[in-house]
Amino acid sequence: MKITVLGGGNWGTTVALSVARAGHPVTLWVRRADQRDEINQARTNQRYLPDITLPAGLTATDDLGGAVEGAGLILFIIPSKAFRRVAQALGAHLSPEQLIIHGTKGFEPVTHLRMSQILEEETCARQLGVLSGPNIAWEMASGLPAGATVASRFPEVIRRARAALEHDQLQIYGNRDVVGVELAGALKNVVAIAAGMAEAMAVGQNAKALLITRGMAEITRLGVALGAAPGTFTGVAGVGDLIVTCASSRSRNFRVGDGLAKGEGLDEITARLGQTAEGINTARVVAELLRERQIRAPLLRTIHQVIEGAFSPEEGLRYLMSLEGSEDVEFVGGDF
Amino acid sequence: MRREDRIKARSEVIGRVFNQISAASEGGGAPISEVINETLYHERERLRQRPSYGDLEADGAFYGQISKALPKASETARQDLLRRLLTRYFDEIAGHFNPRIFKATTRAIPVALSGLLNGLSPKRLITRPGEIPRIDQQLQIEGDVGHIARLHARGVVVYAPTHSSNLDSIIMGYALHASGLPPVSYGAGLNLFSNPLMGFFMSHLGAYTVDRLKTAPLYKAVLKGYATISMELGYDNLFFPGGTRSRSGVVEGQLKRGLLGATLRAYHNQLKAGSARPQVYVVPCTLNYPLVLEAATLIDDHLRRAAKARYIIVDDEFSRLRRWWDFSKGLFELDQRIRVVFGAPLDVFGDPINADGEALDPRGRIIDPARYLYRDGALVEDPARDAEYTRVLGERILSAWQRDTVILANHVAAFALFERLRAMQPQKDLYRFLRELSPALSLPIQEVEVAIDGLVERLKGRDVRLEPIVASGDGAAILRAALASLSTYHTRAVIARRGVRLHVNDANLLFYYRNRLDRYGLSEPLVRGARR
Repeated sequence: MKITVLGGGNWGTTVALSVARAGHPVTLWVRRADQRDEINQARTNQRYLPDITLPAGLTATDDLGGAVEGAGLILFIIPSKAFRRVAQALGAHLSPEQLIIHGTKGFEPVTHLRMSQILEEETCARQLGVLSGPNIAWEMASGLPAGATVASRFPEVIRRARAALEHDQLQIYGNRDVVGVELAGALKNVVAIAAGMAEAMAVGQNAKALLITRGMAEITRLGVALGAAPGTFTGVAGVGDLIVTCASSRSRNFRVGDGLAKGEGLDEITARLGQTAEGINTARVVAELLRERQIRAPLLRTIHQVIEGAFSPEEGLRYLMSLEGSEDVEFVGGDF
Repeated sequence: MRREDRIKARSEVIGRVFNQISAASEGGGAPISEVINETLYHERERLRQRPSYGDLEADGAFYGQISKALPKASETARQDLLRRLLTRYFDEIAGHFNPRIFKATTRAIPVALSGLLNGLSPKRLITRPGEIPRIDQQLQIEGDVGHIARLHARGVVVYAPTHSSNLDSIIMGYALHASGLPPVSYGAGLNLFSNPLMGFFMSHLGAYTVDRLKTAPLYKAVLKGYATISMELGYDNLFFPGGTRSRSGVVEGQLKRGLLGATLRAYHNQLKAGSARPQVYVVPCTLNYPLVLEAATLIDDHLRRAAKARYIIVDDEFSRLRRWWDFSKGLFELDQRIRVVFGAPLDVFGDPINADGEALDPRGRIIDPARYLYRDGALVEDPARDAEYTRVLGERILSAWQRDTVILANHVAAFALFERLRAMQPQKDLYRFLRELSPALSLPIQEVEVAIDGLVERLKGRDVRLEPIVASGDGAAILRAALASLSTYHTRAVIARRGVRLHVNDANLLFYYRNRLDRYGLSEPLVRGARR
């Protein structure tokens, strides 16, 4: 089976690396010819995965048609901003029997679509899946153990993902709830921004735990309203991903929160990261979704207001602490 | 189905279901004896309910024999018993078919259907056809019929209409005939045959029987097998994917996917057999009645179901000729149209089809849909994958129905009036609200007209079909048309004008006609507006 990864950022390169470590040859499509040459000749991708040597079984190309032709599995790892553009280009080369798994945790701005919905709009592919979970690219690329979830309504997609990716340092868990896994992965990035702020403001571990759990309650509420199964938020792609994103100073979204708390502007933070932090766009989409659906989620709204500069991080935190306590776990029920 | 095809279908369907059960049994699934036992259980339960149709005595004797023979039967004898059950089911479903009568009735279709709608006897239809008013004037056909005719030359066409009334199959039959499209094979509920006129025409015009009281999985497997083989043999089909008639009046929002999945099965079998015309095209259709013959019984059943009293309707307006007469009189006198819309054809995966019968991806690029069934270059079986493809096909049919339902003056007026009244009593639950909605509660006509104007304004911004009078946007004219229409046919005028106020005489029917717009997301803001 030919396996192709689209996207040469740090996550795309890490996914390609996992395929190679699982013992398969892998084609990595990148946009720029200089990046292609660096990968094929120097065996590095210095800008996105510094100091990692890429194995010989990983071949880069900038020819999209050639990369996907005859591929039995396409791993689509493109940031949400470029997602539709690449999906459009991919559509011209695709045959209906091909399987696609995407690994992008975000929403499309304006349309608020999930990534699998964009693939449905732009390509003939039906056998779709999503890869998500507590996956800090650098750790995985360094060879540390990890697990991820692949969700698809097609069992064959999960079977192929396991065959392509699993090796002694990576476990793949299956799930049917594509909507839930996509939403959990996207929404947790907003909570990660809150966790980053809390860390930088030195509010203590109690407050940080409170922010994270209330954030979890809010993203579950929104996710369920958008069609997710509540149980998905307790899984690897839910709590699992939230824990790692909120605990790791390597998480991009965590670093956005950290920067905001230190008084930096969004442009400054984004420039320093050098990569997309999906949480910024997601916070904006979330604010609109909450308004449209009339869902109460004070933490998510406050993060959005801090990002937009309407509140300082201190004001945001003061506001959140001033709210009356409500139900702890709403699926348990009770009148509080 | 032609005689030679029926013989072929019989051996194929029985063979396929038999092999499927044997293979499952060998693979660790239910043994044949268990499948027979389960079938006997379902049949005993059915016979205990004493259905009002069918030869219960013969059925009792047949299943009694099987039941008696089963405990002592060897494996070979069990296989024979299974074949006997399959054969009985197949023969019940396929019914009897006489090519001579088929030819005669096909010629009589145009007047026959007009006559049916006028409650006339078959004898008079045949002896004095010239005196009968033609249905053509009451039926309006919309959609690209030429496209469908071209597709028929390339493969099999399956029509998938919305389902409001038992008249639907007759109307579809006529619409196909009037459009120059070939007749179809379709499953008709056994209860329809209790109407002598309908029974006569249905059993000779391609209908096979579906007994909804037969709940055994084995029966359903034969039924699905029959529909599948009929497509493979080149017969166009008519399915009602919504299952039974819409009880509440709403445009269906959920499908029963069992029969719909037969389209993909047939396509797959055709590809496997290397057929030159493997394509199966699905045409979502909508049937739009200003008045629905069985509206009163259907909405009553819907409300009872909500109160958990489920039952299968065996006797409704459809079996009472007098009601047919009143119904068609209502249609003819006011020149009200029944509108049949043939939607854009899809392949069995829900992809749109171009003028040449080729499937298109979402961006209009030609694709080969057969490749959806391939893996590593070979055609492969994967029931989980296929179920998912059929789910998407179902979703696309539902969107097509939503888009192609013709929104009529009656629906708009009923919706606007109902929502205004409901907003005045939001604290009541729906059932109490309906129970207590009496003619004493009324609204100024002008207020309803303004609400209609607002509603039409919002509908115009959407991808929907509006009846010309609705599209005109004149609230007063829409309400006048609805008042005239809703005061014919039904026992009481559904709504009535007294002076400058509008009164509701039949809350359930108002609710029924209002429900046609239920899934268009129009309720909430109207209610909010009224609260303000």
